[in-house]
Amino acid sequence: MNPIQSATSSPALTPAQSPDLTDAAKGSTSFKDFLLNSMQQVNSAQQTADAAVEKLATGGDASPAEVLTAVQKADVAFRMMMQIRNKIVQAYEDVQNVRV
Amino acid sequence: MADIFQSTTIPILEQMVQFTQARHTVLAGNIANIDTPGYVAKDLSVDDFQTRLREAIAEQHSPSSYSAGEPSGVTQTSIGTAAQNAKSVLMHDESNVGVEYQASEMVKNHLQHNMAVTIMASQFRLLAAAISGNV
Amino acid sequence: MFSALDISTSALVAQRTRMNAIASNLANINTPYNEKGEAEPYQPRFVVFQADASVGTNGAAGVKVASVETEQIEPRWKFEPGNPLAQSDGPHKGYVAYPNIDMMTQFTDALEAARSYEANLGALDITKDLAQQTLRIVA
Repeated sequence: MNPIQSATSSPALTPAQSPDLTDAAKGSTSFKDFLLNSMQQVNSAQQTADAAVEKLATGGDASPAEVLTAVQKADVAFRMMMQIRNKIVQAYEDVQNVRV
Repeated sequence: MADIFQSTTIPILEQMVQFTQARHTVLAGNIANIDTPGYVAKDLSVDDFQTRLREAIAEQHSPSSYSAGEPSGVTQTSIGTAAQNAKSVLMHDESNVGVEYQASEMVKNHLQHNMAVTIMASQFRLLAAAISGNV
Repeated sequence: MFSALDISTSALVAQRTRMNAIASNLANINTPYNEKGEAEPYQPRFVVFQADASVGTNGAAGVKVASVETEQIEPRWKFEPGNPLAQSDGPHKGYVAYPNIDMMTQFTDALEAARSYEANLGALDITKDLAQQTLRIVA
């Protein structure tokens, strides 16, 4: 029968080694940067589409295929962004609902 | 409240559709009067309309024309005036071209109209998606 | 936008001008007077086409009628001594000068013009269809 040893003499619990995120993250962007980048891309796609439509309306040399493709690209990019935003909001609400 | 449209190209497309519809009526009149003696073909000047539209768009983009208290409905009216003035009829001689030229102009006008309407419908759908939050 | 429309239209106009010339030739196949009212037989007209680079884009060209030329061919002499137009002397005394237009050639030209017209109408239809289908990019 070993005597009960005091808790202080037990070896200190070392905190679990969390994977070294900084090493893995080197060379890849963070989620925040990815988000901001995407929003900029969506915005520039919208601006390209708007410029193409203006060019078409004022008789510039915009081919119809070019204009329609630009408009559709902006449309799809925007909807993708909307979906990402919805998922983020949903994830946030899920986290909020975690009973601590 | 109408300012939500100012960030889209909907006002421009609206003017385009109004112009193409007015021009369609004029061209249809030309084709109807192919055999009328002494009839001179009329047309709405596309170049004129496009110049005024370009000016109105430039005015809308430049902040110098902005005045607090007046919504950007100012530029809305100027685009509207452009389309109104574009209805000034441009007379030109029939010369040797006849029904083929009129029909071809009508087809081009038709294509412009359809394109403007399609893009406008797509913009409205996008706005609806943004408002409702459902993609 | 779609300068193919303008090109096809220019071809339609050119072919119709050609049909006009042919129709005029066929109508005046027996006309001993020319359009000025002189006692010269009618001379057949023919059109000269020319490629029109101002209509198309990217090197494509439409067509225009460069000029409507009048042929100068020997008239067809018909013996009609009682006709006031008959020649009073010379080698063709008693003969009246009629236009020497060959109906078969004119009809063949007319058929060719009609087929060209149809072909250009077909091209026009395809151009219109192209434009309509392009709208399907924006679902």
